[in-house]
Amino acid sequence: MVNLNRNILHTILIASYIVIIALIVYGVSALFSYLNTGADRSKMLHTEIKKIEQYLPKLIWSPLNNEGRLMDNENLTNLQNDYLDAWYVKQVAYKTNKVAGIKDYYTESARKNLYNFIDLNKAEDITIESTTLNHNPTLEFFSLDGKLAVITDKNVVEYKRVFKAEEFILKTTESSTYKIVFLLEDGFWRIRHIVKQDSQPFIAENQKIKTDNLTIKGINYYPQATPWDMFGKKFSKDIISKDFKIIKDAGLNSIRIFVQYADFGKANVNPKKLKKLKQTLDAAEENNLKVVVTLFDFYGDYSVLNWTLNQRHAEKIVNTFKNHKALLAWDIKNEPNLDFESRGKENVIAWLDKMIDLVKSVDNKHAVTIGWSNIESATILKDKVDIVSFHYYEDLEQFDSAIKTLKKEIPNKALVVQEFGLSSYSGLWNPFGNSEDDQAEYYKTIQSIISKNNIEFMSWTLYDFDYIPTEVVGRLPWRKNTQKYFGFIDSNGNKKPSFKYISKE
Amino acid sequence: MKFKYTYIFIISMVMLSYFTIAQNNKTIVGIKLLTNQTEYEVGSTIILKFSIHKDVKPLLYCSNSYGSTLISPTYKNNTLQYHIPATISKKIGVINWNLIYTETSLLGTLIINPKPQVTSIESYIGPPRIESGGKDYTSLVVIPTDSLDNPVPTNTLVHANHQFLSLEKSEAIFTRNFIAYKDIYSKKESGRMLISSECLGGNSKEFTVIVSPAIPTNFSISVKRVHDYADGNQITTFLTSILKDQYNNIVNDGTYVSFYITNQNGDILKTSGTTAKGIAHSKIVHPDYKDNWRIKAYVDGIAESNTIKINYKQVIKDFKVSFSENNRVITVGPLQSFMQQMIPDGLQIKLQIYNNNNTLLKTYTKTTRNGFVSFNLKSNIFKSGIYNFNIKTAGLEKIFNTKKLW
Repeated sequence: MVNLNRNILHTILIASYIVIIALIVYGVSALFSYLNTGADRSKMLHTEIKKIEQYLPKLIWSPLNNEGRLMDNENLTNLQNDYLDAWYVKQVAYKTNKVAGIKDYYTESARKNLYNFIDLNKAEDITIESTTLNHNPTLEFFSLDGKLAVITDKNVVEYKRVFKAEEFILKTTESSTYKIVFLLEDGFWRIRHIVKQDSQPFIAENQKIKTDNLTIKGINYYPQATPWDMFGKKFSKDIISKDFKIIKDAGLNSIRIFVQYADFGKANVNPKKLKKLKQTLDAAEENNLKVVVTLFDFYGDYSVLNWTLNQRHAEKIVNTFKNHKALLAWDIKNEPNLDFESRGKENVIAWLDKMIDLVKSVDNKHAVTIGWSNIESATILKDKVDIVSFHYYEDLEQFDSAIKTLKKEIPNKALVVQEFGLSSYSGLWNPFGNSEDDQAEYYKTIQSIISKNNIEFMSWTLYDFDYIPTEVVGRLPWRKNTQKYFGFIDSNGNKKPSFKYISKE
Repeated sequence: MKFKYTYIFIISMVMLSYFTIAQNNKTIVGIKLLTNQTEYEVGSTIILKFSIHKDVKPLLYCSNSYGSTLISPTYKNNTLQYHIPATISKKIGVINWNLIYTETSLLGTLIINPKPQVTSIESYIGPPRIESGGKDYTSLVVIPTDSLDNPVPTNTLVHANHQFLSLEKSEAIFTRNFIAYKDIYSKKESGRMLISSECLGGNSKEFTVIVSPAIPTNFSISVKRVHDYADGNQITTFLTSILKDQYNNIVNDGTYVSFYITNQNGDILKTSGTTAKGIAHSKIVHPDYKDNWRIKAYVDGIAESNTIKINYKQVIKDFKVSFSENNRVITVGPLQSFMQQMIPDGLQIKLQIYNNNNTLLKTYTKTTRNGFVSFNLKSNIFKSGIYNFNIKTAGLEKIFNTKKLW
């Protein structure tokens, strides 16, 4: 017993000795590594690569014709990056009324002006959310030693939302011209003077697209095996082509597809995804189908400071496909009104408004629409869109009168009921659900209302799906299961009774 | 049921439209801008006045070059007064304002003009060192600012002054894009150029630009030595002529000159020096045997010298070698120089020891001391037997074959 106790004592002593030594070694090494950090020479001049894209307004330099030294590409890129960062930190500063980052991008005397504004706004509890959407800089002067530059930035489109005591006061879009003097200090191009030379309210001049002889008999399309992941690893043009043939043979003439924001690479659109989208559009063209491309699916941020990133995303896609023969229209966003509550109605609408301007500035041939989730929202931005789209999953009895009301409000624009349908699910989670015959009856009725009111339609959807991602309807099994059975064709490839009414009553 | 919804909708639309129209009317009728002035000098007090028939205090949005804010009014006798804060009024440029009363609000712009007054002149000059000859230039950039740190009006006169040697010059330049700049060219001479500027009575500080000489042109070299004997002891000094650029300016101190020496065997020796007052020195010890050197100097990649030749005469005509202590001690010497004086310490003697089959066993190198060198061959290294010896010094060689050690 004594012996055992002694052994235990020895073990504890040795173990504690090892632990103490380990802690000391750890402590010394932590101290040592701490003392070794922060002295990296390469960091002194900010030469390390750390550029993350956080602010990408459209920026077009005028042809270089400056006084002083000839400008080279590298210096111009650095100047541009620091200039945009200067705008970005300023916007963050006015949004939060904090000074973080200002001193990197404004010289000592210039930053005082910003600090004064921050003090003023902080005292009055004023915050400003803002962004700039367009810059058109001209390099006026670049000094011989490469350390001073002057630019004139013409028609800077600035969007601002002004709040007082967190209450929304005003939104404004201004087009201003600034003249700016930069100094190169510590590796940063810092703003020394910035003077607004001119400013007026900005109104985008958008071309209206005529949609008089539009007939859309369409369907929302996802491949059966890969719903909400159309351009993923399992992408196959053959499957899509086969489906398109089914759609065309059923008497339809158009489809609606979805481009997911994150999936397509956000601000830096992934060329591989564009290739798949092109193959899809090619397949549609081969089958004589027109395509409504819905942008920004699964996107829900809308925050003013990220607008420029969103715009680069849309710009890239629209620019790539604006001349594709299969393209019918751009749907800016699917059901944005569902984000009104969480993201602020004003904010979402402003985002849509500016996005329409952007898409139209890139493509002035194709119509633009927004896929509102209900008919009541369809009047929002009715003057900006070329086609008014809404989804209808409510009671069919109200449908006819709802269309008539909408037509009164929007008499001269094409109306599209862009999603509608009925799930034929009845089972464990919904024992009193609709049967496939109910679904057929639904389509028969709605098609008659559609043709009677002479509006365009796109139904939801071609196939029943086996898998519904959580992002679509959440986790609840009765929702997920219902969502699985909206198709005209079941998951085994058999046409349901409703298929008879896919394109006509 | 259907009918009821439509009915409510129509009624509500009618009411809504009435409401909107009513509000619009209020704006147009109710609020009017009283202030006519739209241009102000920077720093002045700005008050925007509006007439209003109602005791409301709408906010005024106001934005300038640096930021935006909201201003609350004071209401007095049907007049709203908005004091534009100093933060805004002390910076030049356009101010846009917007009275937030209803949807269709009043808006406008004010212009804050710079004042022709200079408190400080920020000057930037670069590059700080240029080359003489009239082709290279430096640029003076000035940003004159007023007391509120605003740039001065366009086309403000600035004097760019510079002094170089006997020249003092003042040139008129004008501000544009908030700056004024002047390119100042070098002259043929090198030296220091002093630069300053003056604007509306305000003066900048003084800047110095160094006008350095251009690249050197070809030069000549000479040699200096105390005698021409190859004693391996004295030092030979190479000197360049004064290195100058094409405009006769002496090159910068520290210009690196390399001297390449080719000896009789074609070996290349190299020594180098940097210039001081245009002359580069470089030193090398005399060879210890008769030799002919050809020397040429270069400022690498830029200029070169002529080639000079020098000879070194043999100093040691002959030397004695004596063997003693069972032939294990070999004494070389006396080694005598040109006046029969003992050669200075440090002359190298090489002893090579071969065995009977002429295989090299060992090489010893020693230097003289007081004219002699002795080698001690230890019996535990060199066993008793027959060896051949070869002794070299000062380009001379002596061979002793079949010497017996015991």
